[in-house]
Amino acid sequence: MRFSGFILVLDSYIVRKGLISVLNRIQGVRVLKEFNAADPFQAYLENHPVDFLIISQSAFRQRAALFISKPELLEKTVLLEESPADDPLKAKHVHGIPASIHLMENKEALTAKIQSLLDHRDFKASGNEPQGLSPRETTIVRLVSLGLTNRQIAEKLFLSAHTVMTHRKNISSKLGIKSVSGLTIYAIVNNIITLDEVSSFPAK
Amino acid sequence: MITRDWPMYRVILENLQLLPLLPRFNLKPGFGELSVEEVCKAHGVNTDFFLEIAKAYLDELYVPEEGLALFPLATMVNYITSTHSYYKEIALPMVEEKLMRLMDHSSLSEKEVTLIRTFFNDYKEEFMAHLSQEEELILPYVLELERQASQDKPDPVFLEKLQVYSIREFEKEHTRLETSLSHLSELIIKYLPPFDDLQLCHQVLNDLASLMKDLVDHADMEDKVLIPRVATLENLLLNRASFS
Repeated sequence: MRFSGFILVLDSYIVRKGLISVLNRIQGVRVLKEFNAADPFQAYLENHPVDFLIISQSAFRQRAALFISKPELLEKTVLLEESPADDPLKAKHVHGIPASIHLMENKEALTAKIQSLLDHRDFKASGNEPQGLSPRETTIVRLVSLGLTNRQIAEKLFLSAHTVMTHRKNISSKLGIKSVSGLTIYAIVNNIITLDEVSSFPAK
Repeated sequence: MITRDWPMYRVILENLQLLPLLPRFNLKPGFGELSVEEVCKAHGVNTDFFLEIAKAYLDELYVPEEGLALFPLATMVNYITSTHSYYKEIALPMVEEKLMRLMDHSSLSEKEVTLIRTFFNDYKEEFMAHLSQEEELILPYVLELERQASQDKPDPVFLEKLQVYSIREFEKEHTRLETSLSHLSELIIKYLPPFDDLQLCHQVLNDLASLMKDLVDHADMEDKVLIPRVATLENLLLNRASFS
């Protein structure tokens, strides 16, 4: 299953924990980390797969310089609006911020907004390959799971045995799975093959 | 938040998910009224280290970076070694035994049973190889590094090795062990036909879940705390050597 990683940047401990408890109930959401406004969250962003950054208005103001120097951050930013409607700093006034939520919003409205954010994102990143496998790699996972040897795969796809080996290595390092049986189970739960298609196992 | 003056019994009673941590520190229930600090002292455990690990274990988002950075690497290496023993001697055999029993009394086809058995055996092999590699190569290296860094004149042979090897090499290869377990859970919950022994099926899923959580926390500690600290120490030692 594909998860979207969230981080939270705001000072109120109570609001953070409350928001986390709502987020954790939404399918496909994973809260990676929470920060106070002054924490160095940009270092974390560089090293982790963060899809969305929820930041309060006041934290956003405090860290405005960071967003000015890295405008691409805005694309993953969700603004948590804390003050009444007449505040000049609202998401719709900041070019590039895809969504905002409001502190006073009820659970259903909040859930719906986050959900639509995820749907939109999945739509944008539409592709059938699970977890970053290329179409060719997915084909090879399928054939491995069906019990074909590297040599058989090479013949079937008109590739050299060496190329197949390279693909196998890349697949293993992308997925962290080395064994044929591990790849087979991976292929089943990612709908690359069906349970019925699994040939007489094991084919080592 | 847990503190050093809390009675240990209360810490555990209110946070039963900490139970698997106790054997790693050689602690056993039956704490009486002793505080966390008193229990730790009596068993030669560094109280602050215990508290940091417990907090990190209870709150996934808790970041022990600063706290854990204060402890000798040897303390951390000890903890990692006893966590490995817990996986090898208790957690993994327990899941295996239940999973195999579940297979024995299931209505799965022979093909499905073979697939799962082979999968688990292969997984166990990879799992053990992963732990051995850490225990035989990485952890001794970390201890030696800390020892050399404390010397006035570090061993030149060691320094030479350090020029070509870094813990970052290991980090690149450091795979996540929990991924395949989550696939197994998903297979059971979604794809396989229902099992007759519902209780046993639930136990298998619960055991898998707690092992996965444990592995995630453990790998996080290695990646976020151990490796950066070792890398810093490597640089420090190399810099010192180039100036002397």
